[in-house]
Amino acid sequence: MTLALKRKTGVAELDEVSQRYPDVPRLIILKADVQRRGVHYTEAAIKLLDPARHQVTGTHIFGTRDGVIALRPESLLLRDGSSIITTPTPLDENPYVVDALDNVPWLFDRGMPLEEVEYWPAPEFYSKTSSSGVPMKNIVSTRPQRLNIFPYRYCTFWNNGNGCAFCDIVAQMKKGGKELNIPAKLDPVEVGEVIGEALKEQGRFSAVFLTSGSIVSGARPFDDEIDYYIAILKEVGKHFRTAKYPSQLIGTAFEKSQLQRLYDQTGLMSYTANIEVLDETIFNRYCPGKAEWIGYQEWKQRLVDAVDVFGPGRVNTGIVAGVELAGPHGFSSEDEALERTLAEAEDLARQGVSTVYIVWSPRPDTPLSGCKNASLDYYIRLARGLHNLRLKYRLPIDHDGYRHCGNHPDTDLSRLLPLWGEKL
Amino acid sequence: MTGTITSDIRELLAHPATVATIATLDETGAPYAVPALFLQLDDSGRLVHPELLETSTTHRNLLRSIWFELPVTITLFSLRGRVTIVRGKVHKAHVSGPLFSDHYRELRSRLGDVDLAAVWLIDILEIIDDTFALRRAREEELHPFFKHLDRLAVADRTP
Repeated sequence: MTLALKRKTGVAELDEVSQRYPDVPRLIILKADVQRRGVHYTEAAIKLLDPARHQVTGTHIFGTRDGVIALRPESLLLRDGSSIITTPTPLDENPYVVDALDNVPWLFDRGMPLEEVEYWPAPEFYSKTSSSGVPMKNIVSTRPQRLNIFPYRYCTFWNNGNGCAFCDIVAQMKKGGKELNIPAKLDPVEVGEVIGEALKEQGRFSAVFLTSGSIVSGARPFDDEIDYYIAILKEVGKHFRTAKYPSQLIGTAFEKSQLQRLYDQTGLMSYTANIEVLDETIFNRYCPGKAEWIGYQEWKQRLVDAVDVFGPGRVNTGIVAGVELAGPHGFSSEDEALERTLAEAEDLARQGVSTVYIVWSPRPDTPLSGCKNASLDYYIRLARGLHNLRLKYRLPIDHDGYRHCGNHPDTDLSRLLPLWGEKL
Repeated sequence: MTGTITSDIRELLAHPATVATIATLDETGAPYAVPALFLQLDDSGRLVHPELLETSTTHRNLLRSIWFELPVTITLFSLRGRVTIVRGKVHKAHVSGPLFSDHYRELRSRLGDVDLAAVWLIDILEIIDDTFALRRAREEELHPFFKHLDRLAVADRTP
């Protein structure tokens, strides 16, 4: 008997929650819950993993919930084409189980098979090495339709210990550097070389994505970060025949002149600056580096300013949903957290900035590692709330949806947003 | 559904004169039918429907179908007047991987610079022969009340 079947204990919570939210697809509820609880891969599931055909863990900028770097599936695809970006989680934390059923990976909960899933396919360039001898997958990684560039695996907010309380980017960089031979800082020319190789695979990628830790240095704060992104995007741009190409940058909240430079000098088409939590007091406590260098209100203002540069529907911010409830300094109830978060998200939405969330998965190498994330109900209500704001303020989210990211249950819901630009 | 009938579907789809349509349901429950120009049957007996545009109504309706278990209907018209209705359930959307890439390359080789949003797989639940001659014979046999009397009247002998 497999591990999944041994753990059979009762009716799946998923079905109970699905019945409470008939307007939310069960697949999205499942996705949010798998992100919330994490996954455990059985030996049978690992046997289905073929590194020649599937992506395996190890290239990501952030770590896993169980703190282990090992050969496991990078993530999962659901039947509706969306991804579940999740992390291997210790069994005693009650994760979903991925097990083999008729030689196909399935998600199990409490011993019951819930959904057939698919491991992310490996791109062709993963088997190649760059001209300097680095495995190309350690320079550019992928999601099912996206090219990921993580050019700088350090965040200078950590220089004085002011990194975000939920973030393990520095800890993961140290592990990645030692165990995986991943360069901490990428050479823009080498990034361009890998992008050129990746684009030879037809029908695989629909977006270029760039993110790194914040770099505070420069004539103006973060000028060095901007310059670095421009250098990389220029090298990437050499492989496109159009001035602009589908792309997203998650960066620090930059000044408008910096954003204009970024937009004018590169092919970048969208911009995201993650505010992480939509409450000023909690932001100051859990994101002290962002508070020190920019501040909550200024962060919001810079997002709004970015709409003038990139255009409506092409600027958004991300929150790590659940940290607003973490520890003694978080909101005291999910109702309060939801009300306050959506009110702030609405303030941004009415000014053209969309908010998306990721499900917070507490990681071992972070100050908030001992805390729990929120309930499944909370994540479903938050997804509905953020989606409804996009409906109310007519904000498309094409650049951060299931194709280009896949990490946001709320933008999955927005796959069926009205097509406002069309007159049929 | 039997193997024989599935093989009939395969034969119909392989014939260049067969016209296929796919009907889906929109958010109001209204049917939306369009030509299904690239419909195929895979080795496991599932219908394969490539959707070229992410914003097409059919693509969005298929997503709605897989989310809320709404049915889809495929209609096949053959050159000789045979009409076959296939009732189906959306199984999966391929958006990446070998199957998707194969269709992407094939469609671009046939159509030029087009894109591909997803390759939808549809489980066949029921196949109905809706050919008029067959339907007419069945109705006249089983429902003799459903006909106009002039068809039964003695022929008019007025010069």
